[in-house]
Amino acid sequence: MNAPIMPHPVAGTEFRLEAHQDDIPTGQTLLKVDNVSLSFGGVKAIREVSFDIRKGEIRAIIGPNGAGKTSMLNVINGFYTPQQGTITYRGVPRRAMRSTQAARQGISRTFQNIALFKGMSTLDNIMTGRITLQKRNLFWQALWHGPAQAEEIEHRLAVEHIIDFLEIAHIRKTPVGRLPYGLQKRVELGRALAAEPALLLLDEPMAGMNLEEKEDMSRFILDVNNQFGTTIALIEHDMGVVMDISDRIVVLDYGRKIGDGKPAEIAADQAVIDAYLGVPHHD
Amino acid sequence: MSVAMLNLTEVVLNGLMAGIMYALVALGFVLIFKASGIFNFAQGVMALFAALTLVGLQTGQVPFAHLINAIFGTNIHHFGWTLPAFLAVILTLCVMVAFAWAFEALVLKHLVNQEPIILFMATIGLAYFLEGFGDLLWGADIKAINLGIPSGGSFWWEDVTREWAPEGSDYWGMYIDKLDVVATVVAIVLVTSLTLFAQYTRMGRALRAVADDHQAALSVGISLRTIWVVVWSIAGFVALVAGVMWGAKSGVQFSLSLIALKALPVLILGGFTSIPGAIVGGLIIGVGEKVAEFYIGPLVGGAIENWFAYVVALVFLLFRPQGLFGERIIERV
Repeated sequence: MNAPIMPHPVAGTEFRLEAHQDDIPTGQTLLKVDNVSLSFGGVKAIREVSFDIRKGEIRAIIGPNGAGKTSMLNVINGFYTPQQGTITYRGVPRRAMRSTQAARQGISRTFQNIALFKGMSTLDNIMTGRITLQKRNLFWQALWHGPAQAEEIEHRLAVEHIIDFLEIAHIRKTPVGRLPYGLQKRVELGRALAAEPALLLLDEPMAGMNLEEKEDMSRFILDVNNQFGTTIALIEHDMGVVMDISDRIVVLDYGRKIGDGKPAEIAADQAVIDAYLGVPHHD
Repeated sequence: MSVAMLNLTEVVLNGLMAGIMYALVALGFVLIFKASGIFNFAQGVMALFAALTLVGLQTGQVPFAHLINAIFGTNIHHFGWTLPAFLAVILTLCVMVAFAWAFEALVLKHLVNQEPIILFMATIGLAYFLEGFGDLLWGADIKAINLGIPSGGSFWWEDVTREWAPEGSDYWGMYIDKLDVVATVVAIVLVTSLTLFAQYTRMGRALRAVADDHQAALSVGISLRTIWVVVWSIAGFVALVAGVMWGAKSGVQFSLSLIALKALPVLILGGFTSIPGAIVGGLIIGVGEKVAEFYIGPLVGGAIENWFAYVVALVFLLFRPQGLFGERIIERV
């Protein structure tokens, strides 16, 4: 159904996203959630879920609506505090992440319902992604002088690279509230990339897109993964895309994990077929 | 120019400058409302408190003098020194930053994710606390601010404008208060620097980000608590400027806190979320008020200035509830 999506080199991408690179070798565990449970009042959103994300892989989280996928991302980047379980990121176990801490340690994300700064330009939106990488203190910034100025220029340069990479140079000065949906999704990806993340969380990056936009987005995701070695965890409903681009898949249903493995294994897993896929998948 | 034209010019000029003074107060409201969605009822009292602190520090008043004297039977009031104006301003700024930090740590922190009305009530509480605290700290008497800001009518301008009148008329020249001119310059510098700060610095970008979308701001690693302290500090700074200007005009006294009420129509006109809106709204109210007083006032027995702004705001609300520059309120159903 879907033609294989080939990553291809993009002009002007000799830059690197390595602010959060570390000595964890590719293929080793970057993040592990262990026995995590989360509930809101009486509603149990996540029940004793454990899985890991390995460095350099594309890890998909799938499942029916209300399965707890977004809640899981919110736990990973510290928006939600689980009642039970531990989250181990880069070898450090925690009861819960805090959102500023997660961002500073290289976890960035996009949202299911785009959460951009609507009044700000594309450029400014992506610049906010670098806030945790900018170090000069308030005093220098207020004077807009010397080191702060040099730093601002350096970050601006990195952002221009990302803009080129995502092919959105033509809208860099446009307030994002005026952009069409597909482009907004792309700007949001740009803002997440600007933080040079070690772990990129994408919440339904292709929701509401047409085929062409989906193919573009898949290509960007693969490029980010291939060229920069960025680990990606994504939630997506388009099974064609998920089976194509992900290395491993975890399946949630009613807050429980019901499957975990390579795309071919998941496609053949009877529990997953019953709960979510509906028909056996032969590809 | 005919005398009637000269009169109109004078009224409009004075209105514009009065408008700047209103805008100075409205600016503080806009900053806090934009960043946190809180309508800060205490903005006027913050201006009063800042001005009291400035005068107190500059003239070497002993803090809590009345309390100390009442408890220990002493009779101390002043340390006996006078600080240079510059130093006093810096110290007052430090006090306002400390105040912002304390308010975040003691109140705002505990009210995260509460309804706006709850936070509004908290700022009403803050207003009354700050008024009482200012009284206890620096005393309730009316004080004069002395920062060397020129004030009084400009004779030079009077002479210049007298020449403009037709030969033989008994025109005496325009009255313009030098203090108002200074306030205008200060307001221009203030707004320009705030805009540059918001536009071109990391912290400024973070402020705009928080104003736009809390969740997204959190996801890129912006700490809301830090931003709140910064915003309230900046609002404290703006309050200081407004307090100094109004204090220099009419003395530092407790009725100063009521200037906040004059900022309300300005905000309704300009929109609660727009800095240019606060300025333009201030100017419209200022000019409207003076022109109405001058031309309509005599017909209805004067004192139009007291209510004109509110009526304008009310009429305005009917046609453009989001204000001139405010974000359009559209709810999808």
